[in-house]
This record gives sequence, structure tokens and C-alpha cells, in this order.
Amino acid sequence: MTGTTSTLDRRMQWTGIGFVAPTVLVIAAILVYPILQSIVLSFGDSSIDGSEPYRFVGLAHYSQLIHTGRFWNALGVTLTFTAITIPCELLVGIGLALLMNESFRGKGIARLAVLFPWALPTALNALMWRWMYNSDYGLFNALALQSGLADRPINWLGDQTLAMISMSIVAIWKTSSFMALIILAGLQSIPRELYEAGRMDGMSRWQEFRQITLPLLKAPILVALIVRSMDALRTFELPFNLTDGGPVTATESLSLYAYKVIFDFIEFNFGAALVVVQFLVIFAMSLVYIFLLRNRD
Amino acid sequence: MTTARPRIALYTLVVLSAVISFLPIVWLILTSLKTSTGIYAWPPQYLPQPFTLENYINIITNTPELLLYVVNSFIVGIGCTAASLALGGLAGYALSRLRIRGARVMMVAILAVTMFPPVSLLPSLFQTFLELGLLNTYTGLIIAHTGLFLPFTVWMLASYFATLPAEIEEAARMDGMGFFRIFRSIVIPLSWPGFVATGLIVFIFSWNEFPLALVLMTQNSMRTAPVGISLYPGEYAFPWETISTATVIAIIPILVITAIFQKQIVGGLTAGAGK
Repeated sequence: MTGTTSTLDRRMQWTGIGFVAPTVLVIAAILVYPILQSIVLSFGDSSIDGSEPYRFVGLAHYSQLIHTGRFWNALGVTLTFTAITIPCELLVGIGLALLMNESFRGKGIARLAVLFPWALPTALNALMWRWMYNSDYGLFNALALQSGLADRPINWLGDQTLAMISMSIVAIWKTSSFMALIILAGLQSIPRELYEAGRMDGMSRWQEFRQITLPLLKAPILVALIVRSMDALRTFELPFNLTDGGPVTATESLSLYAYKVIFDFIEFNFGAALVVVQFLVIFAMSLVYIFLLRNRD
Repeated sequence: MTTARPRIALYTLVVLSAVISFLPIVWLILTSLKTSTGIYAWPPQYLPQPFTLENYINIITNTPELLLYVVNSFIVGIGCTAASLALGGLAGYALSRLRIRGARVMMVAILAVTMFPPVSLLPSLFQTFLELGLLNTYTGLIIAHTGLFLPFTVWMLASYFATLPAEIEEAARMDGMGFFRIFRSIVIPLSWPGFVATGLIVFIFSWNEFPLALVLMTQNSMRTAPVGISLYPGEYAFPWETISTATVIAIIPILVITAIFQKQIVGGLTAGAGK
């Protein structure tokens, strides 16, 4: 009997490896090999079409990076953008989730309203908002001027501080819904009896939220925060289409700067160093979150 | 919640959220239905005066490449969805059911690689695709998107397979069925809701993907909708009547899919993130 089991086990083992192999190959080719090659490229000089042989230059590109103001600016923009958007998305997301957890008529349309911003292509969404922010013909200035809230057009995307806020609003609008969906799923898994028990103890709604709901939502909130923070740290097409990183470089994210270095300035190897640093930033952020998740248990 | 005032507050909040959610797309659709004069008029026209389909007709007759972008997006999206479901289905089944050694480690590794920022893949992918002649080919972008979204597919399908009762497969194995036949004729028919939800989300991901589609399709005629429309404006002028109309056309497929399958998509998203 043990003989047949182990044959079955071995067959299962080999079949399983056969089933997994194509996926592992594709992921290795598209995700793992390129990041490894980027690391190699960042330590050398070469040309994009392979006409010049690779020459090792050590940390030259990294020391150039440290002395490039535009890199520090892009890092600052990316971190600021993340620091503004994530807490706002979390607050709006919790609010939307609590709202969706109530029973009311027209739930289908409300759910579509929550899902729709998530489903939109970020690039086209950025164009849509760029049109609304347009200082001459945009919806926002039309409303602001006609209602008398402003006496001259507001330059939503043309002022350094305002552009960052405008860009953050677009991101918050688009991605709070994702937070809301994850948190809503968490809300729906909380047993009703807990609230009944709370009511017996004479808890107010706020106390219920603080003492029952929030602690049980910690796991889904952390998951949503990880996913969203990683997205915010690599934001690319939003500034690409909304502001092209401007005015000057006020909204130039790390991804956008790296893209310009690689494909506009054709500084292939310096760009590789940039993306490696960006990867390290995201990796560090994930470690922080993983540490937080660990502490939960 | 039986008193009237909280109900009113609740409905006010719901209506307000829905308005904020739909405002940009409604404004865009209204813009696409205005004449060029109407778009740039002062005082602003909130409703098109007159309503016109001029911009849509213009795109069909003068700039059909904008429609070609949508066709390209469909080809890449369907190809990527089919490839992801086929490969990810097999892998997800093996990792959740076939008791491979190291399956857990492999699942975590697959999740970890999704951390790579897409832009960090660009220098190398561009170079490799150039050497292999894969730039500006559907095959190339389909492979790239499949690689990008396979981790998500594997996780979604693996967690779906884990909910199936194991007895049916065991009985089939007693009857001497091979693993591939079990997967094809028992597991797939039982898990089609999982495949549908995963497939829809992967299609939306592929439709919306920007950096790889931007860099791997450099020929105008091969561009996908988000990239083609974004690059359409050119250097100086920004023809909003064309841009708004093309954007509406490129968003409609996504809007329709989301509206019809909202339950499946929400179910899939929350299951995927709950792990």
C-alpha cells in the first residue's frame, strides 16, 4: 500500500511541476529577469540596441544619482504624494464602506458608483481630470467663476503646490473605492452577535465602531494599505497625462523621471540605477508593513 | 435607524457619493456631444447646445486610427486573458491541489514579484523585445501582460480551487483518470465562476495597463487605447473635442463590463485581497 502511495505522490509531484512550469517561466522572463538585468545595467555602461559592449563602472551611476537634484525632487514628490493620498483614501474608503454596509434602495447603482472609478484606465482618467482642471474651459473654473467663489481663473495644474494637491485629488477619487471594497468585505464578515452583545452593554454607535468594528478591520485595512502604497510609490501615468510632471518638476514622480531618463534622455544605465533605487524604496515600505502584519498575531 | 432623519442623511450621502463618482465621465460625455464652439464657449455650456454627434462622425471618417487603438486593446486584452487563465489555471490547480513540495514558498514568491514597479522592467524588456523582434507585435505585448498579471491569476484561481470538495477528484483518480483530464473535465467545469471573475479583472487590467504598452508598442498603428489617445494630442494643440470623444469610446467597453459583472468583479477583488 505504501508503495502505491509513494508512486502516486511522485506522479503528483512531477505532474504538479509540469503544471507550474509554464507560469514560472513566463513570470521569470517578464518580471524576474528584467529586474536582475536592470541591476546589472545600473553598474555599467552599454547602449540600448547592444551596439556597444557592456563595461563595468561600479557605483558610478549611483554616485551620480546622489548628486542629482532632480532625483531627490522626484523621490520627495513620490513620498509626498503617497503621504497625502494614502491616509485620505483610507478615511474616504472607510466612510464609503460603512455607507455601503447599510441597507438602502438603489444598492446596485451605488455599488457601480463605487466600482466604476476603480475600473477606469488611470491614463484616460488623468486626461478626463485634466480637462475638468483646464484653466480656460474646464468645469471647475466655470463653476468657481460663475458662482463667484473665484474672481479670476484658478490655475489648478499650473501652480507648484496646487498641482500636487490637484493630482492627489484625482488619485484619491480613483482609488478610495478599492479601499472601500476591501474594507466592506471585512465589515461583512464581522458576526452580528458581537454588535448585539455590544448593544446589551449599552455601547453607543461610536463605541461600537471603536471597540468592535475597527479592531476587526485591522487585517483588511493593512492589506489595502500595502497594495495602495505600492501603487502610489510607482505612480506613472497619472502625472504623465495630467501634468507631465510639471509645473517644472513639481509633480514628477520617480517612475516618470526614470522613464524620461531612459527613453527621452536615452541614459539607459543611469535610468537603471534609478529604477533599482525605486525598487528598494518599495521593498523597504513593504518590510514595514510586513512587520506590522506580523505584530498582529 | 427607524427614525426619519438618519435615513435622509444616509440617502444624501449615497446620492452625493454617486454624483462625485459619475461627475467626470458625465462631463466628458457632455463635452463629446458639443460642437467645437460649444466646448470653448463663455459663458460655459453645461448642456450641449445643440446636441451633436459631429465629433463621433469625425472620428469615424477622419481619424479611424483612434478606433484601431480600441481594436488593438481588445486583441491584447483577450489574448492576455486567455493565456493568463490557461497558464494560471494549471499552476493554481497544481499549487492548491497537487501537494507539491515548496508550494507555499512558491505562492509567496509569486506574490513578492508583483512588488516590482513596472517602470523598472522597461529598460531590459525594451532591449530584449528589440532583439527578439517582439516590439510592435500583439504576441509581444500579450506575453508581457500575461507575465504581469499571472501572479494575480494564480492567486485568485488557487484560492477558488481550494474551496472545491476534494472527493470528486479523488473518485476520478480511483477510476484511473490522469491529472490533466481531471483538471480539464472536472475542475474547470466546476470552477467557471472563478474563471469568469478572474478573467474579467485580468481583461480590465490589460485594457488599462500603460507603461509596458507605451514602450513595447512604438508604432502608432499598434498602440492600445490608453496609450494611443494619450499620445494623440501631439506637441502643441490639445483637440479636446477629439480627445473627449475617443476617451468615451475607449471607456465604454470597461463601463459595460463593470456594470454587467459588478458582483463577480467585487467578489473576485475582495477574495484576491483577503489572502
